[in-house]
Amino acid sequence: MNIAVCVKRIPKTAEADIFIEKDGKDIKKDNLVFALNDWDGYAVREAVLLKEKYEGEVIVLTIGPEESKEVLTRCLAMGADRAVRIEAPSSSDGHLIAKILAQATKGQSFDLILTGVQAEDDGWGQVGVALAQLLGLPHASIVTHIEVENGKAKVRRELEGGIEELLEVKLPAVLTIQTGINEPKYVSLSAILDAEDKETKEVGLEEIGFTSKAPLDATIDQVSFPPTGKMAEILKGTPEEVVGQLTEIIKKKKG
Amino acid sequence: MKIDPKTFIHDYQLNICIQCGTCTGGCPVKFRSPLNMRRLVRETHLTDNFSSISKRAELWACTTCSTCSLRCPSGVKNVELIMGIRNFLANKGEVPSTIRDALENTLLQGNPWGRFRDRRADWAQDLGVKIFGEETSETLFYVGCAPSYDPRVQSVSTSLVRIFQKAGVDFAILGKKESCCGNEIRRMGEQALFKKLAKDNTALFKKLGVKRIITISPHCYNAFKNEYPDLNIPVQHYTQVLVDLIEAGKLHLSKELGISVTYHDPCFLGKQNKVFDEPRKILNSIPGCDFIEMERSRERSLCCEGGGGRMWAEGGTEGKRNGEIRIREAVALAAKTLATACPFCLLTFEDSVKTSGLAEQIVVKDIAELVMEALEVQ
Repeated sequence: MNIAVCVKRIPKTAEADIFIEKDGKDIKKDNLVFALNDWDGYAVREAVLLKEKYEGEVIVLTIGPEESKEVLTRCLAMGADRAVRIEAPSSSDGHLIAKILAQATKGQSFDLILTGVQAEDDGWGQVGVALAQLLGLPHASIVTHIEVENGKAKVRRELEGGIEELLEVKLPAVLTIQTGINEPKYVSLSAILDAEDKETKEVGLEEIGFTSKAPLDATIDQVSFPPTGKMAEILKGTPEEVVGQLTEIIKKKKG
Repeated sequence: MKIDPKTFIHDYQLNICIQCGTCTGGCPVKFRSPLNMRRLVRETHLTDNFSSISKRAELWACTTCSTCSLRCPSGVKNVELIMGIRNFLANKGEVPSTIRDALENTLLQGNPWGRFRDRRADWAQDLGVKIFGEETSETLFYVGCAPSYDPRVQSVSTSLVRIFQKAGVDFAILGKKESCCGNEIRRMGEQALFKKLAKDNTALFKKLGVKRIITISPHCYNAFKNEYPDLNIPVQHYTQVLVDLIEAGKLHLSKELGISVTYHDPCFLGKQNKVFDEPRKILNSIPGCDFIEMERSRERSLCCEGGGGRMWAEGGTEGKRNGEIRIREAVALAAKTLATACPFCLLTFEDSVKTSGLAEQIVVKDIAELVMEALEVQ
């Protein structure tokens, strides 16, 4: 069973101080650390688990500049067999990313193509589904469980309100993987150092035959912080004072 | 890097174990987990199925306090064995999820909590501290991860800065450039990451022309002093520096504190590095500080369970925590303050004071905080 996993290198913003670039179109990234998109980590782990069960090969792909190689190295350390980096400027247009990935994967004998549900940074959640459409393949999104049997994948999807949907999808198919589908293993530094010796294929857009110059579906006009809500009250003072104020508020609200 | 468990016999001298049981007898988590060091040594020596041994959850209960290795009459390297097995597991990716996150955070952000690297020196913002890169000094005040980010321990960092400033000590901190020392990383089994941190930190210290290092944490002190292969820069724990300053008459501890205080020896300062007298000398120099010695003191100090990666481990032990036992021992001595000199001890005891319901009877302080209080002029 051959599996392609499409991954992305993203900046970690959860703990960081965020500033907006002068042109207002992006956040400043020079002080941020970058990592493999969380959802993609689960997708790669799932691909490796499927490979261990059904044999075959796991290929990871990413689109991005030179620095993106580090996430491919991590995927190789996680057990992927081969890695491909498609050299292209980063883009927030999920449709364009899907078109490039479709061009890179079409005609190859993948049984499954996995992506994360969405990227931690721009969070469009488009690429997997658009990729399936472009390749003419069936798809399932927000997948939390996969079993493969007789050329079909039985998958569970996470719906709202704690409901799960059980689907049967004919292979080849595209699945977008939800966090929690598996328990990610620790990727040791020595495994990463060993993976640096494995080959990462680097290709340009022209090499994969991608020539589309169609205008972008989406461009970013402006990014901004959400307006401060009026309902929130920030208590000020020493911890002791704050606790005092907080207890008073809770007493009042609870009667 | 493949690890062959067969080399453990030679590497950790398992074949000279006489099965006396001194290791298990002194183990501070013996009553709190199924970890049995005597059995582990013999089983690892004789087994032909190492992977079944390596799957035991209790391997993560060890705090690496080193009581077992220090007391072993034969010289078995028990704690190194635990770290060797953990290294075997880390390389296979089979570590508990909270340990996994701590290790990944350290690679990414330079601290096990995954806090933002750029915020590492926020605590020092208004203190007028020199930062390497902007200014220079021969003395590096290496702050460490917990004292940089944990609000409780930041008070120790702040106290020490004020004390050094008052005593006219010339020093600088690394600010955002400071990374984890790796002491706990090595103990959680990530030897390769430890080596990288040691190499990068050593290169940074040398590039900046550091001639002396002062640490807050005994864990950082231990890493720099004993485990960095190419450092060759003298390292002092802050208690050693404070004793020198007091003895040289550069610190005038003038304010009467009027407290009864006992002292808990941190494992990485006391039994592992034999710094026993300095903390006691400092406490005895503080006016109105009635010092009471604990029965289990110095080499016999009971581990607080904060070491060996336990700060990031979940569960694996049961029953009353050693921290609570320690708090009760201190209260039984009628001490109103339990002093220590380690960020992890401070944090585990702060928790224990609350869980034992004894917060009305005793407070936990770092020695640096007591010195700061004694310096303050009303």
